[in-house]
Amino acid sequence: MSLLTELKEMGVNTDEALARFMNNSAFYERMLGKFVANAESTEVMSFIDSGDFEQAEKNAHTLKGVTGNLSLTPLFKGYDGVVSAIRSGDFSAAKQIMSDTLPVQEKILDCIKKYK
Amino acid sequence: MRETILVVDDNEINRDTLRFAFEDSYNVLEAENGLEALKIIDSQKISAVLLDLTMPVMDGIEVLEKMNESGKIVHIPVFIITGENQQDKLMKPYKLGAVDVITKPYFINFVQCRVGNIIELYRHRNDLEEIVNEQVERLSAMNLSMVETLATLIEFRDCESGEHVKRIRGLTKILMTAVCDMYPEYHKLRSEIDKIVMASVLHDVGKISIPDNILQKPGRLTKEEFEIMKSHTTKGCEILSEIPDIIDNDIYNYSYDICRHHHERWDGRGYPDGLKGDEITIWSQVVAVADVYDALTSPRVYKAAFTHEKAVNMITNNECGVFNPKILNVFNACIDKIRRD
Repeated sequence: MSLLTELKEMGVNTDEALARFMNNSAFYERMLGKFVANAESTEVMSFIDSGDFEQAEKNAHTLKGVTGNLSLTPLFKGYDGVVSAIRSGDFSAAKQIMSDTLPVQEKILDCIKKYK
Repeated sequence: MRETILVVDDNEINRDTLRFAFEDSYNVLEAENGLEALKIIDSQKISAVLLDLTMPVMDGIEVLEKMNESGKIVHIPVFIITGENQQDKLMKPYKLGAVDVITKPYFINFVQCRVGNIIELYRHRNDLEEIVNEQVERLSAMNLSMVETLATLIEFRDCESGEHVKRIRGLTKILMTAVCDMYPEYHKLRSEIDKIVMASVLHDVGKISIPDNILQKPGRLTKEEFEIMKSHTTKGCEILSEIPDIIDNDIYNYSYDICRHHHERWDGRGYPDGLKGDEITIWSQVVAVADVYDALTSPRVYKAAFTHEKAVNMITNNECGVFNPKILNVFNACIDKIRRD
């Protein structure tokens, strides 16, 4: 098994990602490697919990952009949902989506770390 | 030499991705926030800016605002690279002059094409602008020399050497500048001084239509002869209206006004229209006093040159017609600068 096949099984759209990166898988994998630290240092849930929805939205927005470009589709959908929920004032929905997304993110990050 | 693209984003992955996209063809610089970006934009030649919207310290919108203030937005294409997809948030950068908004997720090869095409277009446009500016400069230099040549030719008939035209230009510049400095109501004319100065050169263009026996008459003119002499003002306007294309529109308008009204006087006793007070434009009043001073201090076929002191006395005592008190104040304030040795 390779990193990309494993990620593909988790719903990551690796084919699209390679097309985005002009079929340069080495570069794509390097960016995935950087995403680990990026995701771990960009908090969303704790800001939702403390009621700082502005910061939560900002960070979710950043991760939405990054995960979209990396075609980390399940995470992209999650962060996109969080941004929309916060903007429409539905904070409990934002929290729910975040709770659903975090375990998926953890799995994906673990997988990437395994191949580092 | 390679052109430079500036990538502005607080997220390292985003910066790396854009660097990856462009480093084969461009020199790529990075900034982590708007403030860093502006420092780079101010100090280096940048061909395009790829700008994130949400950033700490200074966000993308503020960068656009600052580039509007400095005017750089006109020459440097700015692309917004954003994960934003809400319509209203995407319109603002466009309104601030961003050339394109590229939303994430994107395909690198498309971004390369979009950015590359615009850089090419801007390069072409900036080159053209430079060429046009050079040509405008050359044209206006040629215009000035044509206008001066015309005025000098006419003066030769008046047994002058072309020096009168040069002196009128100098006097108009000094007096007009002082008018703008001394009187707040004329501050806004500062940017017009150069045009007025150029226009002043043509004030006597109508003299070409005056017969030699009058123009060069050593003695006093008869009433009839003086009437013909006075017509150099209106004839000048007729000539100008036949050749409006040799000078630009603003200078044409100033020349026309100066030609017609540089013999009007503050009390309404000048010619050809008998305008009174502020009915006479300030620039025609300036050329009028400059013309009188120069005529007095020059030898003419009908008189010797007066001294500077004598000329100043005659002007301030209204012996050569009544001038606007403001013009006399300006004239007195400039006396050391205009003194003819």
